[in-house]
Amino acid sequence: MTIATLTRPWEAMSYGFLDASAKRELRRKMLKAIAVPGCQMPYASREVPMARGWGTGGLQVTLTLLKPSSVVKVIDQGADDSVNAASIRSFLSKVSGARETWDTTEATLIQSRHRIPEERLRADQVLILQVPNPEPLRPVEPNMSVARQMHADADYGRLWLILYEQIVRSGRVMQGAAYPSLVNGRHVMTPSPIPRWDVPKLHMAQHLTFLSAGREKRLYAVPPFTRVEPLVFSDVPYQVEDHAALTCHRSGMTGYFMNEIPQEDGSSAFELSDSHLGIKAIRQAEGAAVKIGPTWYENGKMPQ
Amino acid sequence: MAYVATRGGERAIDQSERLYRAELGQIDAARVAEIRLALPMLIDRVMGEASLYEPDLAALALAQAGGDLYEAVLLLRAWRTTQPRLTIAEPVLQDQLFTHRRISAAFKDIPGGQILGPSLDYAHRLLATGVLQGQPYMPTPVDPAATPAPAHQPSLAAWQKAQGLVADPARTEVAPDDIPDLTREPLLFPAQRAHTLQSLARADTGGMLALGYSAMRGYGNAHPTVNELRLAEAEVRVRHPRGTVFSAGRVKVSQAEVTSKGKSGLLELGFCATLGWNEVKVISGATLDLNAPGAAKGSPVEEEFFLYHTEPVEASGFCIHFKLPHYVTFQSSLDALRGAKTATPTQPEKVPA
Repeated sequence: MTIATLTRPWEAMSYGFLDASAKRELRRKMLKAIAVPGCQMPYASREVPMARGWGTGGLQVTLTLLKPSSVVKVIDQGADDSVNAASIRSFLSKVSGARETWDTTEATLIQSRHRIPEERLRADQVLILQVPNPEPLRPVEPNMSVARQMHADADYGRLWLILYEQIVRSGRVMQGAAYPSLVNGRHVMTPSPIPRWDVPKLHMAQHLTFLSAGREKRLYAVPPFTRVEPLVFSDVPYQVEDHAALTCHRSGMTGYFMNEIPQEDGSSAFELSDSHLGIKAIRQAEGAAVKIGPTWYENGKMPQ
Repeated sequence: MAYVATRGGERAIDQSERLYRAELGQIDAARVAEIRLALPMLIDRVMGEASLYEPDLAALALAQAGGDLYEAVLLLRAWRTTQPRLTIAEPVLQDQLFTHRRISAAFKDIPGGQILGPSLDYAHRLLATGVLQGQPYMPTPVDPAATPAPAHQPSLAAWQKAQGLVADPARTEVAPDDIPDLTREPLLFPAQRAHTLQSLARADTGGMLALGYSAMRGYGNAHPTVNELRLAEAEVRVRHPRGTVFSAGRVKVSQAEVTSKGKSGLLELGFCATLGWNEVKVISGATLDLNAPGAAKGSPVEEEFFLYHTEPVEASGFCIHFKLPHYVTFQSSLDALRGAKTATPTQPEKVPA
């Protein structure tokens, strides 16, 4: 017997880049996150070959979930061809052998920055949201150890207060993206800076969502069929962006979240933010055999 | 459609990277060797912030990043984190360090003596412009002292402890495997002492100086006196699987201990050490450590504040991430803004006549 027969041949990197000890720690924290929905779990958050703030938290979760049979989609602001999405997607497939896709219905893993696709996710799909700031209490309490205590006490009064102040000052809730939401009736989380349009897609969803902040070293989860309720007053209903009546100037689709493109003449044109949904709609109109999956919103409305 | 042109996916990012690398040209072993030889202080700084002691890899990272320090540190950290931890070296005590330089500002002379060692502190900072005119600069050779200073020096704090000037808490023996490791665990607050010191050791030199300097100028409570500053080499003593303890080599380390009169009536100490020789970093770090106990939440000398904000990889990454598109978030805010404009304006407050 020689030492060579007892060891595996040397390889430049582990499968899926992260070494086994990093993956083990992440899996433990991911399981904990599922067990306590919406509660932020601190994790070591290893350095990865990308800069912090560029999706390193989402990347670590995705790298841990990847297997050779995975089909992976990566979007940034809704677009598959955005430069950073392209960079992350090619890294993921390079280190895992997983197949790349742009089609939401085909993907098994979807890593996203700031959007949830418009097509409904199924129970066999996992959504990984990149999170810049995991702490919904940051605007009222920048100190992380104090904020942690406030979560433990479910002390969310100051969050309600800023919403109330916004209504008093501006006549409406002024929170844009990253709308604070109560998960499973216990922990307030930030759903990451997804638009308000996307938050209802997390409520009682069939799919599992991980939210991971690499720089801040926190991950949390929304398991399937979990309540996700935006913080609202009973007499001031939750308002998504006023996009229901907008039409995409490229695909002709109406009733989804749009990007606004300022025009030379002072007006605005709109295009679907979910870029591949737009591509599919255009190709379908051209007669290609493309299937658009059922969408969360129907005629610009989220069915109750 | 100017914006759409900045997308373009994989081809665009590939070409953009090529454009950057074209500027740096060919990187070969000779360039890396020259960087290692010519820039030892920079190598030390990068190794400290990367918490990886490997001068060749540090020189390679600097070459590959074209001298961008944050990029070089990220390259090394990303490489380091995938490497297995083979063993944990034995702790090194101050009096076991192979000391090159050791000074104290607290006393005129100290047991073991003031040893200046290599320093530019008293040099006149004149640019040797002759070099550019073809006259190479040759450093004047050192005249060795008749009796060399002893390689090992006692710790000044040990003398102060014996005098009853400094609190001397009992040392707790921790098994090597039980020493908390910041690179394998998240930093939580209140931080474990080991995490604090590890975090200071790998902190960004410039960031630590900025916050440390703010404390020195008066935004901290304690004025630091340099109790002891040391540049040294530490023996990396590890245990062979058969049980023999042996030295795997030496690493350059720097450490600073600063002191100030505490409320307890004793001297209080702040401490910082790092891999490589980097005096500005350890003095700044020790000053922050000295000021940390009891600091107000949100003040720059509060531990959570300075440890979070001097993390070079996190801070630089987040700063450059603002270059990424944010149009979805922006659209969402725009919608709220327009909604507020059309909502019934609130009644103006009635001013009493």
